[in-house]
Amino acid sequence: MQDYLFDEHFDKYPLAMAYVPWQHFDKMYDDLEKAFHNGTIFPELNKPFTGRRCV
Amino acid sequence: MGSREQMLKDIGIVDFTLIELTLYLDTHPYDRSAIEYFNHYSRIKNQMTKEFSQKFFPLTIDMAESNKEWRWGMAPLPWEGACN
Repeated sequence: MQDYLFDEHFDKYPLAMAYVPWQHFDKMYDDLEKAFHNGTIFPELNKPFTGRRCV
Repeated sequence: MGSREQMLKDIGIVDFTLIELTLYLDTHPYDRSAIEYFNHYSRIKNQMTKEFSQKFFPLTIDMAESNKEWRWGMAPLPWEGACN
């Protein structure tokens, strides 16, 4: 699977299309119970919805 | 060795971790470090499931090895609150 670096190929991306940045396995929560309650083992994907703004 | 509820909770947490790693590996099948984590937690989960099944009741049919009574049939049913 190809690994896209958005910053490097910015001009190659057609306009009006949606892109999802490629995830890299960096770290996971040491405390798995915390991960379970957050709904993800990846700290960078822990994005609680507050009803007003994204965190 | 914990209580039945604590062990079930811990199994659920490790199972969730495995599901997360599975989702990641489905799109990153050559990520060695994620594979190592998966193998690690997979072994732990198997061990925990086996331990729980021997101590309390079989969680899956392949853990239902029985002697005098059919353990699978004797296990509490989900609507009896045993899975909470």
